[in-house]
Amino acid sequence: MDTSSLNIILKILHYIFFGYAVMAILSYVVLSFISAKETLLYMKKRSFVNYKHILSSTMAPPITIIAPAYNESLNIVENVRSLLSNHYANYTVIIVNDGSSDDSLEKLIAAYDLEKVNFIINEKIKTQPIRAGVFKSKNPAFEKLMVVDKENGGKADALNMGLNISKSKYVACIDVDCLLLQDALQKLIKPFLQNASSKTIAAGGVIRIANSCTIRDGELIDIKLPKSFLVRSQILEYLRAFLLGRMAWSRLNGLLVISGAFGILDKDIAIEVGGYDTNTVGEDMEIIVRMRRHMEEKNEKYRVSYIPDPLCWTEAPDSYKVFISQRNRWTRGTIETLKKHRKIGFNRNYGFFGLLSYPYWLIFERLAPIIETVGIIYFTILVILREVRWEYVLAFITLSYLFSMLFSILAILSEELTFNQYKKKGTGFKLILLSALEPIILHPFVLYAAIKGNYDYYFNKKKKWGTMIRKGLATS
Amino acid sequence: MTYLTKLIDEYSQLPLIIQLAWAISALLIVAIIFLIIALQILRKSLRIRHKEKVTYKKRYEGKLINYLYGGGVSSLLTAEQQRCIEEFKNVVHLKHRRKIIVSILFNLMNQITGEMTEAIKTFYFKTGLIDSAIDRLHSKKWHVVAKSISELSRFNVCEAKDEVAKFIHHPRPEVRTETQLYFVTLFKFDGLHFLDEYQEPLSEWVQIQLLEILNQFDDQQICDITPWLQSTNDSVVRFALKLAQIYNQFEVKDTLMELLTHPTKDIRLKSIQVLTSLYGIEAKEVLKANFESLSIEEQISFFKLLEKLVMPDDEPFVEKHLFHKNFEVQLLAVKILKSLNKDKFMGLSTEVYEDSNPKILEFVKSI
Repeated sequence: MDTSSLNIILKILHYIFFGYAVMAILSYVVLSFISAKETLLYMKKRSFVNYKHILSSTMAPPITIIAPAYNESLNIVENVRSLLSNHYANYTVIIVNDGSSDDSLEKLIAAYDLEKVNFIINEKIKTQPIRAGVFKSKNPAFEKLMVVDKENGGKADALNMGLNISKSKYVACIDVDCLLLQDALQKLIKPFLQNASSKTIAAGGVIRIANSCTIRDGELIDIKLPKSFLVRSQILEYLRAFLLGRMAWSRLNGLLVISGAFGILDKDIAIEVGGYDTNTVGEDMEIIVRMRRHMEEKNEKYRVSYIPDPLCWTEAPDSYKVFISQRNRWTRGTIETLKKHRKIGFNRNYGFFGLLSYPYWLIFERLAPIIETVGIIYFTILVILREVRWEYVLAFITLSYLFSMLFSILAILSEELTFNQYKKKGTGFKLILLSALEPIILHPFVLYAAIKGNYDYYFNKKKKWGTMIRKGLATS
Repeated sequence: MTYLTKLIDEYSQLPLIIQLAWAISALLIVAIIFLIIALQILRKSLRIRHKEKVTYKKRYEGKLINYLYGGGVSSLLTAEQQRCIEEFKNVVHLKHRRKIIVSILFNLMNQITGEMTEAIKTFYFKTGLIDSAIDRLHSKKWHVVAKSISELSRFNVCEAKDEVAKFIHHPRPEVRTETQLYFVTLFKFDGLHFLDEYQEPLSEWVQIQLLEILNQFDDQQICDITPWLQSTNDSVVRFALKLAQIYNQFEVKDTLMELLTHPTKDIRLKSIQVLTSLYGIEAKEVLKANFESLSIEEQISFFKLLEKLVMPDDEPFVEKHLFHKNFEVQLLAVKILKSLNKDKFMGLSTEVYEDSNPKILEFVKSI
């Protein structure tokens, strides 16, 4: 290859990197503008909404909370108590004990006075069989609770069992160890009930990080900023993702994911599409994409909604090992879903979904770590060859760093203007400091996890969920 | 000065793209500094506002309770109450404080009954809070209007009826909702007459709220809902069906029968459910005759109706659907057969049928 050809290739590479960065920055700017507008509109609407009526109404649609549990013996009793303390009038809780090898079931039986009941399951979705049976409480105080003990089949399989059993029109799928706020159901059911012109098929809300928060009897008492830098950084990440990203995609009706930690689905549509996919580690994203695809193919008007209210508090990984494992799984889940539904991408038959949502996820979520890594490798080669033009490097690194910081501060500002959850004095300064440090300290780990996720997806097919060691919120 | 000149010189010699990058960076720095300052000011002002709110809430709550308990035997205001009103008159024009006062008044309204409610209403009128709410009805901002209607509704201000009525067809659904809630809160079932010619969609959310408000009244005398059941607006029909079910409107059975052939599926479905709750035995033969043409959801609903209203002469029909392709219909059919003819059901469970679902038979046997 002669020097001029090499120069042309290098130039093309430069343009690709530059164009990608400009497009990414522009998309963030546009999304944050849309988010800000949508959040303000939501806050205006929320200022006079009266949730009191929906709470007491027997006409309120029934909701089933499905919470899969696997070896959750440590906190299962407390977690179920928290789920049972919801203020919504018309709901039931199904705990699906997914073949736990610990004493979760025994603990539940003892704590909630459970007895085995006759129950017939309409197996609309194939699942692993029932193990010990279906249990209900003898105590009328826990009449909303049902526990199903089945053979192990994974989270998706347990959720499918819940879908088969539920008799409600709507199902709230939740991680059993999450702390669901007492008003979460009435807030999240609203998008399903208020849209008269199009059918809402799924809805999600903001997930917050509960590490270091004080929780008593399943209720969030005090919100504190954790001491761990890793957990703090994730708080900032979540703020950015939920307040600046998803809000905009919701406005554009382009959401591809509702967090598996807590979301409500239209049960009939979820069953029509075959329930959760048991062969992916990103079942929460996959089912939303499949439901959307189904609606597009049926040519029916629909929405996937999102509300900015903090509805559910979860425990974030507080060790880098667990954090990397979690992000690795998220990456594999994204790859699997996008690959499975590649037909949608750039396909005008799927409208906005195919022409914008899918390509955005493909280009700026799926490919981002790969492009970044290629960029780093390319930069290293240039350093070795002493071909680096440092005036460019300095200018563009400064620009991207400042942009990242600005974006984080915007997310913090958005949080302050809306829900103002971190009220304690000094927290504002800590969050600003975090926005300055996070791109330097946390981002390399995020990138590493994503690359490892790519590697595992292609070369380590056996890898499934990975372990998430939880300390438990109930004992905080 | 020379340093700055040197810097400018160097900058001007850089390639255009780098100049642009540095220029944007400079802008970003300014934006970041501005946002950090804004954030700090915002956090500080939120803290101050919260403190103020707590202080004023405590202060005003005490005064308002004194006002409420400072009343005499007659309905006339005492001197102490007059003084209290005068004092509040001076602060209600301040937006933040007015909000605090209104929220305290509303909480008090929820806790008390009878004469004291009237005392609060008098306070609301005499302090000029009502004028402020009515003034805000003329705002160009839809959310201000909606909030104002909500406030008038909470304080039972019937006097603003004509002003509020103008918003019943407002382009914003939120304003329409508040208007509807205002009318139903204040005028009970009479307040529902906006439905007569209502063409906008009435969401499920609004319907539930309206029903809950109606449910709170002692007087459950409902007006004629036939025109709403015959409305061309499907959402109005859905709402009327709910009313028919909740208020046991046996009088509208004929109209409900007509709805069994409504072009919208979920209205047909809901009609079957309402007829089930109203023991609409007339529906049985009609649905039986058209059973094969019904959607699967309607078939399930019909079998639920049959479960409740079954007669011995329904047995052949039930038997015909014992092995229906749908699980729920099959389960209901087996259950109904058990209730109609136990011997036949027991025979069924021992015989081997090609399409039978042994789980269903076992389950029904066990219950």
